[in-house]
Amino acid sequence: MKTCGVDIGSLETKMVLLDDKNIMDYRVGRSTFDFKRVGSNMFNELLEKHNLRKSEIYVMSTGYGRNTVSFADDRITEITAHARGVQYFYPEAHSVIDIGGQDSKAIVISEKTRNVIDFQMNDKCAAGTGRFIEVMAGALEVPIQQIGELALNSNNPASISSTCTVFAESEVISLFARGTKKEDIAAGIHKSIARRVAGMAKRIGVAPLLVFCGGVAKNIAVKKFLELELGFEIVTPVINGKSSAQLTGAIGAALIAQEQRSG
Amino acid sequence: MDNLELLSDYSSFLREKKEEGKKIIGFISHDNIPEELFDAAGFIPLRLLFAGNDEFMDASHDYLPPSTCAFAQSCIGLFSLKPNQYEFLDLIDYFIVSNHCVSDICASEIISKRFDIPRLNFYIPYTNNENSIKYFKLELLELKKQLEEINGKEIKDENLKESIKKYNSFKRKLLDFSFLNISGSEKLKILQKAILYGPFFLPELESFFEQRSDNEIQTSFNSKEVLLTGGSIFINDPLIDLVEEGGGNITFFDSWIGNNYYSQIIANDILDSIKNPYDILVHRFKNNNFGDHSVPNFLENKILQLEKIYQDHLKKTGRKLGIINHIIKFCDHISLLSSHLKNRLQEKGIQVLNLERDYSRAIRGQLSTRIEAFLEMI
Repeated sequence: MKTCGVDIGSLETKMVLLDDKNIMDYRVGRSTFDFKRVGSNMFNELLEKHNLRKSEIYVMSTGYGRNTVSFADDRITEITAHARGVQYFYPEAHSVIDIGGQDSKAIVISEKTRNVIDFQMNDKCAAGTGRFIEVMAGALEVPIQQIGELALNSNNPASISSTCTVFAESEVISLFARGTKKEDIAAGIHKSIARRVAGMAKRIGVAPLLVFCGGVAKNIAVKKFLELELGFEIVTPVINGKSSAQLTGAIGAALIAQEQRSG
Repeated sequence: MDNLELLSDYSSFLREKKEEGKKIIGFISHDNIPEELFDAAGFIPLRLLFAGNDEFMDASHDYLPPSTCAFAQSCIGLFSLKPNQYEFLDLIDYFIVSNHCVSDICASEIISKRFDIPRLNFYIPYTNNENSIKYFKLELLELKKQLEEINGKEIKDENLKESIKKYNSFKRKLLDFSFLNISGSEKLKILQKAILYGPFFLPELESFFEQRSDNEIQTSFNSKEVLLTGGSIFINDPLIDLVEEGGGNITFFDSWIGNNYYSQIIANDILDSIKNPYDILVHRFKNNNFGDHSVPNFLENKILQLEKIYQDHLKKTGRKLGIINHIIKFCDHISLLSSHLKNRLQEKGIQVLNLERDYSRAIRGQLSTRIEAFLEMI
């Protein structure tokens, strides 16, 4: 049975095609302002490449733009989808932290039922999200792909507020003006996001095995500082040696579609 | 009836009452305000049961900081902007300054002072020991005196007792209504209107019962059943739509618009045996276990009460309820202990979503995700 999970995030759209439990193919692309068009184009590409018709695939949408996917047969929230998706990689996962472009979530999975038993989401605020790192990378004039590595060079992370992106940005500028090293500021930024997300996650009792997913999970410094804040090691999903942290929502949606179809 | 029609009808209703010479008394609608006393004095109570929006919250920042209870912000913003559909606010003659919580005190004071509405104080104790009860009665008598001075005539005990009976019957009917098996949104619409109009709504409520055949009342819903506790869903708040769009149905409202109001029924033997009507109101205050004002142990009482509702529902229907604890942002009263409430209920196997929000449109998507994920979880 073929299913497709479509995860429309605020920044990126992820699509995974499953044949039974095997990943046949996947796509990741910018969501842009036109979720509908991006999703449709990506889906049509997959159909064409694998010589499939829509009627042969059951589509489950998830994510911020889940309601905009006109070709979806059903929809599910990204919270349920991530909880299911991480179990594709780590069947014994206890908790999930997902940090995406505009929000962050912590999820606890039942040991018995393997379903979500609790979750927490960030507020309407960029602090503790991918957007926070993006803004800070801009303030430091460092490419976003390099800011994590830069942070790991620091021995003395600067102290930066974790409550507001706007205030944090002005803190970064004043640290710069005072001559604080770039790597220390970068480390402070990562520590700040980790503190905020870990605080939220601790309130619902996250514990090992904790899977870190979402686009921000590709940033090694956020992972390291999260481990320090939480006090235990965390894992990120990998396929063929490559991070697939962004795909867990789409994989989860496709797996839930399989489970629904097979009753 | 949509909310615009409701507000427009309510404006006409209040104008009529004004033309009959009645005075209108506004207040933030907590569950210890003695509206029977206003009724006996010939006043029309106007409960502020209106939800906020971005514009109201923004407008309130001329008077208080944004980190204040979003409902308090909205009430002030409402008076500041007074959109056309709320023109009835101009008809208010007096405003009650009370102390359900700190935000109630501040918002009521600001509304009275900044919008030139003469104030009447009615402060309630936080405990229900002997001294507090005495104090509550003194406050009632002081309020009576103020109302008599305004009217220039005495409030007779028999009139107050009649008003108490009238409100009591109304609450009984509302309690019966609350158990009807209808959709949450339909139920909420009627509850909002009923509590806004008070016993004036009784004939409409009775005709609602008559119009419904037994079959309709037995209708069952496939949606997941939800108990709403914490902040009320006020008039013009789309929250109930988000719950229903996500596949849920609120079957129990444990809030000001809901249980806190209509469960405060005085037993007939008390009504018959206590002669002094002020002592009847004191008795009700002493036994008000439904609100969240009293200390100590209000949280423990709340946990016990929610567990009882949950278990009764489970026994009666065989179905579990999910609990949404609706937290209006910066309402310290509800939010500070919300984690404790959630943890305690979850230990008992009851699923709880602490849903913190303000009235901003921008968070609609996030709210939907939280509600839907919770419904998927239960």
